[in-house]
Amino acid sequence: MAAAAADEEELEPLFDYSRVQPTIAFSFDDTDIENSDIFVHCNKRRKAAGVDGDANPNGGSEAVQNADTAPRAAAVVDLGEEDWLPPPPPKTKCTVRPELEESSVLRELRLQKQAMAKFAESADDFLEKVVQTAKQKVQARIPTEHIDLDNSSERQVENARQKVVITIQDKAGQQQFRIYKDEKFDKLFKAYAKKVNLSLADLTFVFDGDKLDPASTPEDLDLEDEDMIEVRHK
Amino acid sequence: MSGGIARGRLAEERKAWRKNHPHGFVAKPETMADGTVNLMIWHCTIPGKQGTDWEGGYFPLTLHFSEDYPSKPPKCKFPQGFFHPNVYPSGTVCLSILNEDSGWRPAITVKQILVGIQDLLDQPNPADPAQTDGYHLFIQDPTEYKRRVRLQAKQYPPIV
Repeated sequence: MAAAAADEEELEPLFDYSRVQPTIAFSFDDTDIENSDIFVHCNKRRKAAGVDGDANPNGGSEAVQNADTAPRAAAVVDLGEEDWLPPPPPKTKCTVRPELEESSVLRELRLQKQAMAKFAESADDFLEKVVQTAKQKVQARIPTEHIDLDNSSERQVENARQKVVITIQDKAGQQQFRIYKDEKFDKLFKAYAKKVNLSLADLTFVFDGDKLDPASTPEDLDLEDEDMIEVRHK
Repeated sequence: MSGGIARGRLAEERKAWRKNHPHGFVAKPETMADGTVNLMIWHCTIPGKQGTDWEGGYFPLTLHFSEDYPSKPPKCKFPQGFFHPNVYPSGTVCLSILNEDSGWRPAITVKQILVGIQDLLDQPNPADPAQTDGYHLFIQDPTEYKRRVRLQAKQYPPIV
């Protein structure tokens, strides 16, 4: 009994884990469904372990109470560990009836409970590891992906194709577009027409009083950043 | 060397114009046959104001800057024979802000000049006539004046 109590006290760090858990959950801000799933499961199990831990000190002090709480704890753990622990619940249910007379059965029961608790703990640890590694993976993957994207676009801008910001002005106002210097105006015109919801055929694009050839590029006209193109509606 | 000042200022004016200018206006320095740019002469277009008899016209205007610019204003010329009470038969615009002895200030920009001339189109100044034809019709026969203005607007359709 004393040994069992000592063992059960060793379980207390579980509470520390559960206290630490929220901060982990807090920093775990990814909304990915898969990951949030893991997180929810983990929480369930943590609760189950918490109940288990609650039951244990009571059980350590009084055998009868322990016998009463044992099935409850087992049942709770069972809820959490359904797919992990199929055999124990029926056994405990069976042992509940003759428990008062037979201390050996009680001992066995307690041992079983301890084993189960340990298993739950290891399962928790395992889950925590899974969560952490998943988190690390997610954290590691997302930033690098972004950086990769940025890098690649940066490289493109620097090395191969320079972009230029062009202002398109109509009677109502101005809008700015960013296009490659060596990209034909055609694409810009189409994008603009789509944006203003007008047919490209009804629009004339003018720079310095001259109609722009859709096949020409900003480079051809030596356009600089924020140079203004005018659009006239036919 | 005042020429340097004029060209420096004009290069700035051109840069600012490329970035922003009122809709329908054009203002660009002359390009020579060999492809070089002459900052001292600008070819401009002034659109007739919407809702006026001048609407629909895109009137060509040439700005002639001197080496004394911006101490002195540019000479602004419509085509010869342009119909307007304040435009000389030569096409030169008569406007206070373009007169170095009255309204001109070195800080006046090309944009302000062009917008000022656009305003003048629909609001002639009868106190300062520069041609007989336009002036007389404006004073004596508003209907005929209107007709002539509309006719002229049609003579200068948009180039593009």
